[in-house]
Amino acid sequence: MAGARARVRVIRRVVAFVTVLGTWEVLSRVGWLDPFYAPAPTAVVRVIASLFGDPGFWTHLQATFVAALAGLLGGLVLGVLLGFGAALSPLLADLLEPVMIMLNAIPRVILAPLFVIWLGIDLASKVALALILVTVLIFFAVYGGIKEVDQRLVERVRTLGGGRRELIREVYVPSVTAWVMGNLKIAVGFAFTGAVVGEFVASSRGLGYLLQFAQSTYNAALTIALIVLIMAFVLVLFALAERLERRLLRWRYEA
Amino acid sequence: MLHVRGLTVGFGGEPVLEGIDLDARAGEFVSMIGPSGSGKTSVLRAVTGLLRPQAGVVELDVDADHVAFLFQDDALLPWRTARQNVSLGMRIRGVPVGEAEVRADEWLASLGLAGFGERYPRQLSGGQRKRVAIAQVLALEPRLLLMDEPFAALDAIVRARLTEELLAWVEREHLTVLLVTHDLEEAITVSDVVYVLSQGPRATVKARHEVAIERPRHLLDSRRHPAFAPLMTRLWDDLAEELSPGVHTADDDGRG
Repeated sequence: MAGARARVRVIRRVVAFVTVLGTWEVLSRVGWLDPFYAPAPTAVVRVIASLFGDPGFWTHLQATFVAALAGLLGGLVLGVLLGFGAALSPLLADLLEPVMIMLNAIPRVILAPLFVIWLGIDLASKVALALILVTVLIFFAVYGGIKEVDQRLVERVRTLGGGRRELIREVYVPSVTAWVMGNLKIAVGFAFTGAVVGEFVASSRGLGYLLQFAQSTYNAALTIALIVLIMAFVLVLFALAERLERRLLRWRYEA
Repeated sequence: MLHVRGLTVGFGGEPVLEGIDLDARAGEFVSMIGPSGSGKTSVLRAVTGLLRPQAGVVELDVDADHVAFLFQDDALLPWRTARQNVSLGMRIRGVPVGEAEVRADEWLASLGLAGFGERYPRQLSGGQRKRVAIAQVLALEPRLLLMDEPFAALDAIVRARLTEELLAWVEREHLTVLLVTHDLEEAITVSDVVYVLSQGPRATVKARHEVAIERPRHLLDSRRHPAFAPLMTRLWDDLAEELSPGVHTADDDGRG
């Protein structure tokens, strides 16, 4: 029955989606919608196709992906290290916690201009922005995750004779993995936010740069095309993140 | 085997337990009963070193490696398979992984879980998880087994079966056991000595009763033994005095 319910839900969503796009297309064609503001879906598709046909587009694509993925990986590593460090060392916790709480409270993209001043308009400033967005997220996942580790498991391992090393290997690392994996999709989104916003602020390449260009030339079709593309890329990465999560957290998903 | 002298345990404020004396001779099956909040669990935790006593000593005639603790809940490592969970203690003691896993499979098989080595705890029933937890503990080949209401969460049939199996094991290996339980019947049927703790805080040993039923024990036979009913009455009376009106019971988590 659950399967039937899920199928009904998918059908409803597809129907709604197609209806909205179809209406939009029709309204555009009969001239009720101004293509300057809302170009028809087919026009947007044509722009997307032409983007992929343009060899220059691939350098933009590459720039954004490199910045996002470098920021994502760096942020994961740094967040895990700092989170573990803070959980294990009270000194580090005292130093890091206020900084992280502050960084968590502000919209971190406001740091973008500063990174441009410090690191220039090239890749480094985009990586830095993506990295700081991801690091803060993962730091709290790891730090909070370790503090909330099931104490019963800690006691089990201790009564079996385990010391610090066994506790880290058998209890802390697996439970932190679960916390990080739970946040991985959000981290992917953050990494792209960092990269694209960084490019938007100041750059000579990237999807964010193209967006900035499209906006300054009042090219709505290109703007929508880029938004759709970025969404599609993030969704693909979401799917990959989910596969990774199911693999690493087999114990949670295996039937 | 185990001698507890003047054990006092507290968590900052008033002691939960005060001046507990308790002995378990080698091969003896000792139970502790008492009202909720009398700190029975704290005695076990002090014996294993999970809890540092405020005063008193715990003397063990065996190495700490030979002491095992079977907990009330079956908190296995959820990210490890049954086999990995069972082999954990052996691996910590330096047994090579391959050998530890072979032995873990043997332990699982001896507890009726042959072929379940690859399962994760989530894929097992409550009774099966309990069996894995027992295998994990027995695989250490302990001389002293501490148990904190190990079967409380199980249904009556599974509970009876596991108790029988464990009794057979205790008999065969001449294990010394210290069991914490709420269940008076269980205390009498399985043990040689029953300690009754008084109502906490400042719980003390209220009484010590020897159970005049010969071993090996069987759950049903023990219940029909002439010594059973009189001792049951004594234990009820002991506890009834502790729970007389006006005495409030502490929180019912068995740990206080």
